[in-house]
Amino acid sequence: MKRINLKKKQMKTQVTFTQKLWYVTILMVAVFAFNPMYGQSTSSSQKGKIIKGTVSDLKGPLEGANIILKGENQGTVTNAKGEFKFPVALETGDVLVISFLGYESIEYRIKTDTTFVKAVLSDEVIEFMGAVNTNKRYKSKKRKN
Amino acid sequence: MRIFLIHIYLFVFVFQSYAQISDFQQISFEKADEIALKYKDETLHNLPDLVYKLTSELDTDAERFRAIFKWVCSSIANDYKLYNRNKRKRLRYKNDSVRLNEWNTKFQKIVFRKLLKDRTTICTGYAYLVKELANLADIECEMVHGYARTSTMNIETLDTPNHSWNAVKLNGKWYLCDPTWASGIPNPETYRFQFDFNSGFFLSDPKIFAVNHHPLDKKWFLLEGATPSFQAFLDAPIIYGKAYTYFSDHSYPQKLNNEVQKNKSFNFKLQLQKEIEKEDVNLVIESSFRERKIYPDQISIQDQSLSIDYKFEFSGYYDVHLYIKDDLISTYTIKVTR
Repeated sequence: MKRINLKKKQMKTQVTFTQKLWYVTILMVAVFAFNPMYGQSTSSSQKGKIIKGTVSDLKGPLEGANIILKGENQGTVTNAKGEFKFPVALETGDVLVISFLGYESIEYRIKTDTTFVKAVLSDEVIEFMGAVNTNKRYKSKKRKN
Repeated sequence: MRIFLIHIYLFVFVFQSYAQISDFQQISFEKADEIALKYKDETLHNLPDLVYKLTSELDTDAERFRAIFKWVCSSIANDYKLYNRNKRKRLRYKNDSVRLNEWNTKFQKIVFRKLLKDRTTICTGYAYLVKELANLADIECEMVHGYARTSTMNIETLDTPNHSWNAVKLNGKWYLCDPTWASGIPNPETYRFQFDFNSGFFLSDPKIFAVNHHPLDKKWFLLEGATPSFQAFLDAPIIYGKAYTYFSDHSYPQKLNNEVQKNKSFNFKLQLQKEIEKEDVNLVIESSFRERKIYPDQISIQDQSLSIDYKFEFSGYYDVHLYIKDDLISTYTIKVTR
């Protein structure tokens, strides 16, 4: 009696394991079947494009202005004519941050029809003042008398 | 299985919020300081790249801000000539807003050119740079303009704002810092700038900050309740850079100029932010004739409050300087009457 029960138990375990294996296989197939990466539904606007542009201030082209892709460590710098060509293909919705020390930064959002960026930076308006700290000991005037 | 999932959920969401509330002042800024010094010689031609270098290896906003702050304070020297030139012009055109504006527009270009070329500047330049770098690291940071007092300033002519510093938001809370004063001090004789980082000016306690900083916009006091009046600021005792490393507040006396009868107790009270020994507390009492160093015996340190009581034996007029060891903390004038 005992032997028959054991066999029944072994048969049970074997069947359950195979079932599990099938379950996993079906699950994996289902996952890949519905994964959009494998679909053909991606639109052409997802393809990147190389953006060129110029950066200038009110007087003329700015050499050495920084252009970076917001949120990424990708960027470039303008040449002596204020021209730049972004080194990485950009997509619609990407934001370029254009900056130069002493000027107000500009954020430029790439649109579907953007091919060229013309940026004009305006000077920061800051009032400069400066109190230097010192460790020179205070000397009251009254004491000098 | 369900219980396991609940535990994962709790661990991921709930415990994270506790980490946000915890006091980041217990974070070690060692790594941030190391990174700041590593890039000490970088120029300002590519700010986004500089910010990336200073912050990409750090995990918290507090550390990232520390790296930026430490970098500015260790790399940008204070230009005394530039400061003097601006001071003279601003004084000359004080009542001529058109000329003042013209000067400022011209001066602004000079400041930015100097920053790029020589990596030197004056206070607003420091505050501007800290703000720009912090903002590039997605940290909210503002420039604060106002008045500041030092021991060599003639306060009778202090009627226009003369200093800039920063307010920064970390973990949803605002903090104060003064990058100009944190970076160092000009040599009192040669006026040559000396780098000497003072961490007391990084995320300072607003109470002690308000003793010698008075913002134009009251909200930047970051104090609850009533803020000090401008007159109280002008009348306050003189405190020095080291005060910011020992104390979180200056309680008494509230004025620079004081009067007391001889042999009557005069009280000094300051709130400590770190432990000190009573034996380290000393007063240097200067009269017209001489200077004496006193180790007062009436000292009490209780609940982080340092209280000193001293009786002046002889009438006269004294400049009294408080020291902790050799660190100059504050100065008061005391007229001792009969």
